[in-house]
Amino acid sequence: MMKETDQKTWEEPMDWERDGSRYLSSIMDIGELLLVHGAEVNRVEDTISRLCGAYGFVRSDVFTITSSIVASAMAPDGTTITQTRRIKDRDTDLGKVELVNGLSRRICENPVSAEMIQEEIRAIRDMKSISEGMKLGMYMLISSSLSVFFGGSWLDGLAAAVSGMVLYGMLRQSAAMKLNGIVQTMMCSAVTALAVSLLVRLGIGTHPDKIMIGNIMLVIPGIQLTNSLRDMINGDMISGLLNMSEALLKAVSVAMGFAVILLVGGGG
Amino acid sequence: MSFYVIQTIMGILGSIGFSILFGVTDRKLLWISLGSGAGWVVYLVCVAGGYGMFVGLFAASLFVAVVSEVLARILKTPVILMLVPMLIPEIPGGDLYYTMYYLVQRQYVEFGNSSNQVLVEAGAIALGIILASYVAKFIRSFRLHMPGMFQRGKKEGIAGN
Repeated sequence: MMKETDQKTWEEPMDWERDGSRYLSSIMDIGELLLVHGAEVNRVEDTISRLCGAYGFVRSDVFTITSSIVASAMAPDGTTITQTRRIKDRDTDLGKVELVNGLSRRICENPVSAEMIQEEIRAIRDMKSISEGMKLGMYMLISSSLSVFFGGSWLDGLAAAVSGMVLYGMLRQSAAMKLNGIVQTMMCSAVTALAVSLLVRLGIGTHPDKIMIGNIMLVIPGIQLTNSLRDMINGDMISGLLNMSEALLKAVSVAMGFAVILLVGGGG
Repeated sequence: MSFYVIQTIMGILGSIGFSILFGVTDRKLLWISLGSGAGWVVYLVCVAGGYGMFVGLFAASLFVAVVSEVLARILKTPVILMLVPMLIPEIPGGDLYYTMYYLVQRQYVEFGNSSNQVLVEAGAIALGIILASYVAKFIRSFRLHMPGMFQRGKKEGIAGN
């Protein structure tokens, strides 16, 4: 048998028992990367089963929900390998989804060795996403433009930019504290609402609701809610239900955060 | 009128902001901003034509979804990368806020009304997206069964969803 590590391209393994699980593990890494960075459940299942086909597995069964991937693949000699991945934190980065998608396309057309896949995956994982300053800028841009979009005045837009800055700082600080997600959302929205009502008291901005809508678009799971309905109509019931309950819970926690300030301040 | 122009521009800015936040930083931004602006114009035209919010959102999201299905094929990227940022102006964030506001203020009648509205809006958007993606799938499987028109034909089969 030739030394496998020297080979750049894939060859049918002699020993499916050993090599098969290495390949499946790399395929699962690709699926995990997709799911973590916000690809649809559908796409993850499709990608994994296509990759399994490309690597010579005769049958593959993949089941994916938003928090887990389970895949079983059967080799030509009858060996069946099952692996699962648990997805805990997700962080939308569609740029990476595109990269991984391109990678899996390339692999499907021309299967490479497991080491090569691992190298490529590591390269994508280590790739820097946008800088902190840029993120802050985007938070300000999004909150101000959307608060004007929903009917606020220009001054409201300015106030939304400032409170968007507060929101970003809060999200960053609380992420470092590793709080429970619900508590974190509550705290951040409470502080943001406080900032908004202070700004309005100071005369910057006139419609606190419009300012808050601009900020809320950043924390509120509107995209997730729409996606969850899409999943359900699409037939991915469990993912849809998971996403929807997550979105609703998040919306309620945002509401509770704002409620504290509204009840104390009386404004809003 | 001028408000609608400003609104459309602000919607585009929001879309650009979200796409950069989601890691899309290359030339696709131009396509995303064009598509998101055009989608909002579709909504505004529908509402101005007296078709109401539901039809407007449905038409706008159908339009955006079709545009992103086509663009994704041309630019060879995942559909979701074009679709999510382009849909930002249609996302019912405002009504979601008012729903929560009424809940907090204990105005339960208004709360019921606006939560219904949010669900209907989200449903309209989801319906538009689904319709577009099924048409795309239909066209693809139609082409798969036309021999000679599509090279990879048999190998991929219908199983590849």
